[in-house]
Amino acid sequence: MKAHTIACVLALAAAVAAQDEIHAYKAARIWPAGGSPVEQGVLVVVGGKVAAIGGADTAIPEGAKVHDLGSAVITPGLVDASWQRTGSPEDRNEQSSEVTPHMRAIDAWDPLDPQVVRARKGGVTTLHHTPGNRAVIGGLGVVVKTTPASAPTTLLKDDVSLRITMGAEPSMGNRAIRGGSVDSIYYRRPTTRMGVVWEVRRAFSKAQDYQQRTIAEGSPADPAMEVLVRALQGKVTVITTARAEQDIRTALRLADEFGYKTAIDEGVESHVMAEELAAAGATVMVGAPSADRVSGAGGSDGAEPRWSTLSRLATAGVPFVVTTGGNAAALPLAQEAMFAVRFGLTPELALDAVTLRPARLLGVDDRVGSLAPGKDADFVIWSTDPFDPTAVATAVHVNGTRIQD
Amino acid sequence: MSIPMTSSFRILAAALAAALIASQASAQDVLVRAAKLVVSPDLVLENGELLVRSGKVAYVGSEIPAEARQRATKREWPTATIAPGAVVAFGWLGQEEALGERATAFTPELRAADGFDGTTEAVRKLPAEGVTAYGLAPSSRNVVAGIGALVKPAGEFARIPADDLFLHLSVVKQARDQERWPTSIMGAADLLRTTFKAAANPVSGDTRLRPFREAMQGQRQVFVHANTLNELTVALDACTQAGIAPVVVGAGDAAKCIDQLKAARARVVLGTASPDAKVAQLELPAKLEAAGIPFAIAGEPSTLRWSAALAVRHGATRRTALSALTRVPAEMLGMQDRIGSLRAGCDADFAVWSGDPVELTSELLAVYVDGEERHVKDAAQAAKEKN
Repeated sequence: MKAHTIACVLALAAAVAAQDEIHAYKAARIWPAGGSPVEQGVLVVVGGKVAAIGGADTAIPEGAKVHDLGSAVITPGLVDASWQRTGSPEDRNEQSSEVTPHMRAIDAWDPLDPQVVRARKGGVTTLHHTPGNRAVIGGLGVVVKTTPASAPTTLLKDDVSLRITMGAEPSMGNRAIRGGSVDSIYYRRPTTRMGVVWEVRRAFSKAQDYQQRTIAEGSPADPAMEVLVRALQGKVTVITTARAEQDIRTALRLADEFGYKTAIDEGVESHVMAEELAAAGATVMVGAPSADRVSGAGGSDGAEPRWSTLSRLATAGVPFVVTTGGNAAALPLAQEAMFAVRFGLTPELALDAVTLRPARLLGVDDRVGSLAPGKDADFVIWSTDPFDPTAVATAVHVNGTRIQD
Repeated sequence: MSIPMTSSFRILAAALAAALIASQASAQDVLVRAAKLVVSPDLVLENGELLVRSGKVAYVGSEIPAEARQRATKREWPTATIAPGAVVAFGWLGQEEALGERATAFTPELRAADGFDGTTEAVRKLPAEGVTAYGLAPSSRNVVAGIGALVKPAGEFARIPADDLFLHLSVVKQARDQERWPTSIMGAADLLRTTFKAAANPVSGDTRLRPFREAMQGQRQVFVHANTLNELTVALDACTQAGIAPVVVGAGDAAKCIDQLKAARARVVLGTASPDAKVAQLELPAKLEAAGIPFAIAGEPSTLRWSAALAVRHGATRRTALSALTRVPAEMLGMQDRIGSLRAGCDADFAVWSGDPVELTSELLAVYVDGEERHVKDAAQAAKEKN
């Protein structure tokens, strides 16, 4: 997309402008993510990238502007791996078909949405913006930074994930023909869980055929099939929304059947099958672990949330990430991580679950997710430890530049 | 007894016929004169004159031949200003329902002119608001809505000088809340991208893609209805990728993406404004002017001048405000050689104002469309003005 290219060029230009700038931030503690915190830490930023991180003895380059932050604490910018708060649900869900893998969430992105501003003020610098859950195969997610821009947002990685949804949500609104306008797109399957699974199976079977068939010269490619083939080849992260135990099982079964790997989004009842998930190596994305209501337009989907879900997953060795997900009751992401600590996670693990792990899941950990030399200088300065309930993000930096809100 | 026609007789007959035609033409000539003649927003003549012949502006100012001047019927407004008639770039003239095909969102070959009723009150009222030309669009309820037309009021009915003008696209809410594909902005974006891509493929024999190809070759204007920042981004991206400089209709969030609009070489059709509108909306015209983005004002005809005046009140220049009602919309429709200005050769579409056309206290004294008087303020008053 040309305009996104322009945005990238603009971002690049800004980075070039900041190229000569060297900053050193001294904080009481730095959580780099992916490791232990550094007391009396120093973070050196050169040209919008992390140049060095370490203790008080870290060498500060000549000409650096030194910011002594006193008792403040630094963490990487947070990464929300399942962002569903911007745009109307109508625009994140193409309803004319149950299988719309080529729909792109980037087309439904508004970088100036007040919810994005809110997330950024809460320390979130990277979002995974995805299609919603109203189609069986909804479409492609995009990873963006929360930089405010009049141009399209700073795109980090396009078309990174493919969303599939199990359970009751995709079949909502579908109906058998009785009364009403007979040309409505809502007269269709599925109306049951069986129908939902049938749609996935049919789509991937078709994609396998498509993959094997020699495409006749000049015949146009099928964009939907192209995306599904990429999923089968492991070139795009498949994320399956599955809340209830039966749906999580189904999601794993389908992935196994067609040979793709999937992460489980929402994963409300993942705690009851933690060992199986660990064996499958499936990442579980837990949306709003603090909430006592389950997200989703389809009601609870029969799933029952537990506050202990994360610690049970941790004990079983299931890789998990914490997100805000589609839950209207979600707290700001940092507070969800704080909540996870309260219910048994170590602070290191809780921080990783909202920084490095989601970045890895989405394949952007070369750029964001932790404070390591060479990575983007996306970091948050907190008034005190981020897992302290009184903590407030006093400054948010993206690409080394402080975002003024 | 038949008299064989000699060649000299033939020549004589031809000369007589020619003289007859010439005298007929000059008998219809009207010399219009006013204190000020706005030929275009960039060219204003004091004590300006123009000669109307066969519905066209034949000559302007000092170019009027003495003989033609003498023979023409005179219409004079010693204290008034003559300006080009207002051109509305985009609208439905109250007939949106009839101009939106319900079955599918992809109707590129449907022409608004084919579903248009030219005898309605809305059409007849146009001259009374100083409007002499109107860009009739298919409804924005379809993503690929169809082909727009140029409509002119002509008394009891409307004239349609062009029925195969711009290609109208739409990504506004209305185009995606019907129970058919697409229902989301993602689907609308995909439809536009896919269509432009298909049109770029010379192998495709789909005749429905013809308007797209013409647009990509610069032979057809593209209007795209988009309001929110998201919609604008989608619309501009699709057009930029296809190499098209679009006319963006609506553009409510334009202030949030001035750079994008500029990079896409977009022009903008703004809706009409009222004094109680949000400040951001009122200041948008001045912002667009400062950024060098051409804009037109379209909407309810009775509020057009209101909107132009508000644009001036909030920072736009008078010249730009007048352009937004005349020259710019004419260019958007690709009809700048005929409408939107009063240069020689243009259609004789003009309004006579008691003062500056953008001044709200100015009174509309008369309106001419294709040289024919379509509105007179008051017969007695007009007679007085004439003398």
